[in-house]
Amino acid sequence: MTVLSLLSLLFLAAFSSLASANSDYLESLVLQPLPQSALLASFNFQSNDSQTSFDERHFRYFPRALGQILRHANTKELHLRFTTGRWDAESWGPRPWNGTKEGGTGVELWAWIDAVDDEAAFAKWITLAQSLSGLFCASLNFIDSTRTTRPVVSFEPMGTHAASDNLHLLHGTLPGEVVCTENLTPFLKLLPCKGKAGVASLLDGHKLFDASWQSMSVDVRPICTQTGECVVQIDQSVDIVLDIDRSKRPRDNPIPRPVPNEQLVCDTSKPYHSDDTCYPLESTSEKSWGLSEIFGRSISGSCPLTEGSTDGTVCLRVPHEREVHATDGAVEVQRPDGYTRCFTLESSTPFDLAIPEQEATTQVPLDEPVLRAERTIVGHGQERGGMRIIFDNPSDTNAVDFIYFETLPWFLRPYVHTLQATITGRDGLRRQVPASQFIKETFYRPAIDRERGTQLELALSVPAASTVTLTYDFEKAILRYTEYPPDANRGFNVAPAVIKLGSADGGASHPIYIRTTSLLLPLPTPDFSMPYNVIILTSTVIALAFGSIFNLLVRRFVTAEEASAMRSQTLKSRLGGKLVALRDRVKGKTAKTE
Amino acid sequence: MATPAALPPLPFNPSRVRSYVLRLPLFTRLVLLAIIVFWLLELQTVWSVKQWGSLIPEEINIGTMYRLNTYPFIHFGFFHAFLNLLALTPLLERFEAEHGTLTAVALFFGPLSTFPAGAYIVIERFVLHRNTEVFGASVWVFLLLGSEAIRTFKSNPYFSLGPYKIPTWTSPLFACGLVSIFVQNASLLGHLCAIFVGYLFGLGYLKVFVPPEKVLRWIEGKLNLLGRLPHYVSVDQKTFGRYGVLPTTTAGSERATPMSYLGSSQRLAAIRKLRSNPHFLFVHLPHILSFICIVAGVVWLLLLPLNDYSRQTYISENALLPGQVHAYFSGSEQHIFRGYKKELEAILGRQTPSGQDNRNEEFTPAVSDKIQSILRAAGLKVATQKYEYTSSGITHQGQNVYAIIQAPRGDATEAIVLVAAWKTADDELNLNGVSLALTLAGYFKRWSLWSKDIIFVFPPDSKSGTQAWIDAYHDMQPAFVQPLPLKSGALQGGLVIEYPFDHRFESLHILYDGVNGQLPNLDLFNTAVSIAGGQMGIGSNLQEMWDHNDSYEMRLQTILRGMVKQGFGYATGAHSSFMPYHIDAITLQPKGDGWQDEMALGRTIEGLCRSLNNLLEHLHQSFFFYLLMQTNRFVSIGTYLPSAMLIAGNFTIMAIALWLRTGYYTGLEQTAVKPPVTAEETNKQAATLTEKSGANTAQQPAVKTDSSSIIERQLALPLTLVVSLHLLGLVPLYIFNNINHQYYPTATYASIAINAILPTVLAASLTRGLTTTPRDQSQQSLLIKSFSLLVLGLFLSTLATLNFSLSFMIGLLCTPLSFVNRIDPRTASRPVRSVLAVVGLVLLNVLSPPVVLLGACWYSGVDVETVLTQAAFGWDVWGMWTQVVVWCVWWPAWVTGCALLEFSLF
Repeated sequence: MTVLSLLSLLFLAAFSSLASANSDYLESLVLQPLPQSALLASFNFQSNDSQTSFDERHFRYFPRALGQILRHANTKELHLRFTTGRWDAESWGPRPWNGTKEGGTGVELWAWIDAVDDEAAFAKWITLAQSLSGLFCASLNFIDSTRTTRPVVSFEPMGTHAASDNLHLLHGTLPGEVVCTENLTPFLKLLPCKGKAGVASLLDGHKLFDASWQSMSVDVRPICTQTGECVVQIDQSVDIVLDIDRSKRPRDNPIPRPVPNEQLVCDTSKPYHSDDTCYPLESTSEKSWGLSEIFGRSISGSCPLTEGSTDGTVCLRVPHEREVHATDGAVEVQRPDGYTRCFTLESSTPFDLAIPEQEATTQVPLDEPVLRAERTIVGHGQERGGMRIIFDNPSDTNAVDFIYFETLPWFLRPYVHTLQATITGRDGLRRQVPASQFIKETFYRPAIDRERGTQLELALSVPAASTVTLTYDFEKAILRYTEYPPDANRGFNVAPAVIKLGSADGGASHPIYIRTTSLLLPLPTPDFSMPYNVIILTSTVIALAFGSIFNLLVRRFVTAEEASAMRSQTLKSRLGGKLVALRDRVKGKTAKTE
Repeated sequence: MATPAALPPLPFNPSRVRSYVLRLPLFTRLVLLAIIVFWLLELQTVWSVKQWGSLIPEEINIGTMYRLNTYPFIHFGFFHAFLNLLALTPLLERFEAEHGTLTAVALFFGPLSTFPAGAYIVIERFVLHRNTEVFGASVWVFLLLGSEAIRTFKSNPYFSLGPYKIPTWTSPLFACGLVSIFVQNASLLGHLCAIFVGYLFGLGYLKVFVPPEKVLRWIEGKLNLLGRLPHYVSVDQKTFGRYGVLPTTTAGSERATPMSYLGSSQRLAAIRKLRSNPHFLFVHLPHILSFICIVAGVVWLLLLPLNDYSRQTYISENALLPGQVHAYFSGSEQHIFRGYKKELEAILGRQTPSGQDNRNEEFTPAVSDKIQSILRAAGLKVATQKYEYTSSGITHQGQNVYAIIQAPRGDATEAIVLVAAWKTADDELNLNGVSLALTLAGYFKRWSLWSKDIIFVFPPDSKSGTQAWIDAYHDMQPAFVQPLPLKSGALQGGLVIEYPFDHRFESLHILYDGVNGQLPNLDLFNTAVSIAGGQMGIGSNLQEMWDHNDSYEMRLQTILRGMVKQGFGYATGAHSSFMPYHIDAITLQPKGDGWQDEMALGRTIEGLCRSLNNLLEHLHQSFFFYLLMQTNRFVSIGTYLPSAMLIAGNFTIMAIALWLRTGYYTGLEQTAVKPPVTAEETNKQAATLTEKSGANTAQQPAVKTDSSSIIERQLALPLTLVVSLHLLGLVPLYIFNNINHQYYPTATYASIAINAILPTVLAASLTRGLTTTPRDQSQQSLLIKSFSLLVLGLFLSTLATLNFSLSFMIGLLCTPLSFVNRIDPRTASRPVRSVLAVVGLVLLNVLSPPVVLLGACWYSGVDVETVLTQAAFGWDVWGMWTQVVVWCVWWPAWVTGCALLEFSLF
């Protein structure tokens, strides 16, 4: 894995320098313009608390709410992801943080839980999911046994754990969960500065959730140094890809109306060019933008808790010759790589950046992704379908080894014996080959209806300069009518597959993760309103007919004399009689006294 | 009884009903006739019978007093009339039988109509101050019920329910209440008035209005009514009259049985004769029923355009919200549109230096590259797909260009498709459409509200390009179609843009027929109509009906055009290929010369995309099976399906009847003692071509023979023949889909010739080759026909639910097969048989599949070769199975029919 992005190297460098620090808090923002007027903004917040103070329930930077949950659920290491949209690797290059800080569409949660056996671990896992559901206002409580898997090789602990711990890895996804502002607010509350100061002050729900792609992550892990000092580290990050044009539109007028005629950029060299005919010209210059323009506000100074950090807090990755206007007072440091410049914030003065429009001369180089993966459902009809997974290795020299991990809901029943592979070289020829040629190892745990989903982990190897397509067929189960969601639904979501690219060189402990898009599985849906209509109609008729007949049958018809005779028998009439007698007596007495 | 012992007992006796109907007295007949006539009159739209004759309280004055008498005859729709007829007939018949025709006339044109009407008007107008119109014979039903109830009350005052005694005179009130609950629009007040007058009549307060008997006798005597009028009930004959009707109510005695209308002994004998007449039951009745089915099926179809049977369209899926958003596609986008158009025109001009007139309009790599570069510049993900199809020796190849706008924050689970084919469905250059799609691509890319990906497809033609693309999208592509390198999620809807001319347009023509008669969800069509009409002010047309004036003829014509397209099952445009994958799609074609420009079309498409973007679920709310008669009226499957089902049912009825007949009745023993058939009967045979094996058994007392015993059926030969004929259908199916296109006319004529020979060969070999008794031959020919019709009926009724139009058309073309049969050698002499069989054969050959094809081609002025090439293309590319129905269902049934006729020759 020689190709690691400079961006990730930067992150890793920051990462390792911080890992040893004890009980501190750091935050950073990296901005990088991407092609097609996109802008990647990576926010990172990291704090350490010593293990001893964590054990004594003495929380300094570590959020108490989360700490208590983790202790209650015996969770040693926690990873929580909220992601929306898809990363466009073709235009935007490799993923930020090498994909380690993003999840599949929706919510993804995995944790190492200390428990004596599987059952106890699962009970703690449910506790954890339920508690986090409340904390993050997300439907994490829907992670039940059907959505929980125990990956074997796809995930490795990021922290250092004592050998004595009996750790269980549990993993759950909610691909249909919609991530929105109600998840952002609790996320910000976990930060020491609560989004009031520092780079977190840029995080506005309106702008954040207008992004083309967005991922929020929370990672908690214990880190121990050689000397035996242990810290509990919480690492929160928000990565978003904003569309500069869209974000610059004013909030009160967000509609992309056609531009006025005079603002059209036309190719005037065309022979037909005239006042009413315009062949649009591609703009070659870099767009102008500023922090307050894109995020709607500027950074309100640094968070006071980030004491003594020498590195810049806000980093911008544009070529050095690019003109950048920063607020006075911010210290600018240009890194020697030629593309990175960082600014250190003052604690009380607001910070803003503005980049004017400029003719593009050089571009920040984007690395080629190591592997491209695409997963789609093929076939049609209500009964059967097929899954097609395409792995494309763009490298001309190196084969790629990776772990492919997918969880399927129980109502999607794969036929693993139909697993087939085709390989397409750069010459475009397709060849059917046995799947075992690429699959080195398989871990398969079949589904049990209504109890657990399918878990499939494959160790694969894709040769250089080729595309491997895996296909298998599946059958769609028929659900019970109560198992359909009560509201309108477009189908059932299938969780994205996770691909873990092992780092081949030197066994560094930071693999690359890629996630495919989630899938939509349309299941045969009965017409629920039809029985409803029938029931309503028949109920009405029966109620009308039955009501009147029942009334006739049980009512006693009596004559007026009988009725008055009967009335004297009842408690009410007897009481009434007594009352009358009493009143008469009282009246009689008063009459007597007169 | 001579009825065969094995005859399954009928739950009700049709001959009884028949005799009852035949015995209805005169006035009842006239009333029933009048009701039917008024109902039929109501069907026309020029003169509203309802407005003329119904009882409208505020319309009543001296000049419109006739309404007091006419309202009972007028009904609202078929079911109203039918139910009232059913209820009224026994009551009125009884009344007339008891009181005589003259009294009935006097009373029903006098007090019994006007009194309830008067009471109703008084209460409605002066007490309730409303103006609800009433009509219908139910007033008489309730009136007669009321008077009957009083009479019952006199003899049998209470019925007890547990300890309670309920007076019997209240029963009409219960009935009235039930009717008001269950029947929509039933006038409770009107019924109550009628019951009230009925009570009065029953109690005898209206006796004064009954004409004196003396006068009646005098009239009868003078006019000799009894002699002149059939079914007349005389004053003397009433109740105990000439029918010998048993008294229905006699003082002091118990109620008569409901079967009391059964006739006198003489009458009973006639009925018994009918029941004991298996020839009628097995031979005539099925033919009558089949014929009624066919007529009813056709009439049913003809009724569909009426307002009573069709419905106004409506948007069923609330999420669509058509036309609720403002469309912003305008202004400078038009400049860009012109820019793209000029750019493409420049490429076209470069392709042939000879000039604009005969420019090469092929979708060349230069065009493809330009489209790709424009889409890339707009920021879309672009990919291409090559495909090649070979059908009838013609190769269709091309390259699709497509591009995806990935929804911001979307997860590639759903997508909408916009298709702009380089050539339209009519093979015109779709330059404006392609430019518009390119402009829309750039415009849509700027919006952030898309929840679904939007895919723009630019196929080189409308026939094969989209098919290749959609097949590959679902990974179902054949070998010579490339897989798609770029994909998105499940497709939720498709729109095809066509704009093949340069001037402005007037209205939108919406194409919606899919391959094999599949249709898109009606909601999509409605959304398009509603956005175009409601928001953009663009009218819409369908089925090439340019001036639709909403008349019956126009509606029927629209339905029939739709049915023809559906029945043939070919792809009417680029959208058709989407339908087999359950993706709803339509084509928008601008038509006419008006003042709408391309931006208006663009805004319509923007509105449609916004509506589809709103969808939370796949389109499923509205109808998938419908017949459109106008842009805003349709018939749903529940209403139109009986039409094709009746036609298909006629074959099944005949097949079952033949099966019973082969087992229970041969007619052989009776014919053995019969004289030869008379000349009249031979003529009758010629008219209907029906078999006439047993003659005049009705006149003879039932012959006590072994006809009651069960006859063994010889199944081997008929089954083998029918199955092998259906399998033989695969041969022409293969030939007509696989030979080179230039041989199609030859193959058609050859098949006509073979069609003429094959039945003869079959009949000759079967009669000569098999040594069987004449009785077995007769049974086997009936069994062959039975199996053949059974398969046909089963298949057509199944097909009716999938492709109604095809089933209906094939069913109609096959109707003679129900009635042709082997002419029994015992009933007709050889020359007569030969003449009849030859005439029948000629008629049948006119209705053979290839001849019908030739006739249709001649009528529509299309080349046979073109049609068959298109059909083979449909079979190879679109997966069209109309040919399977023709060759494996229609043709075997037809051959069987011909062979049966040919049997008569040997």
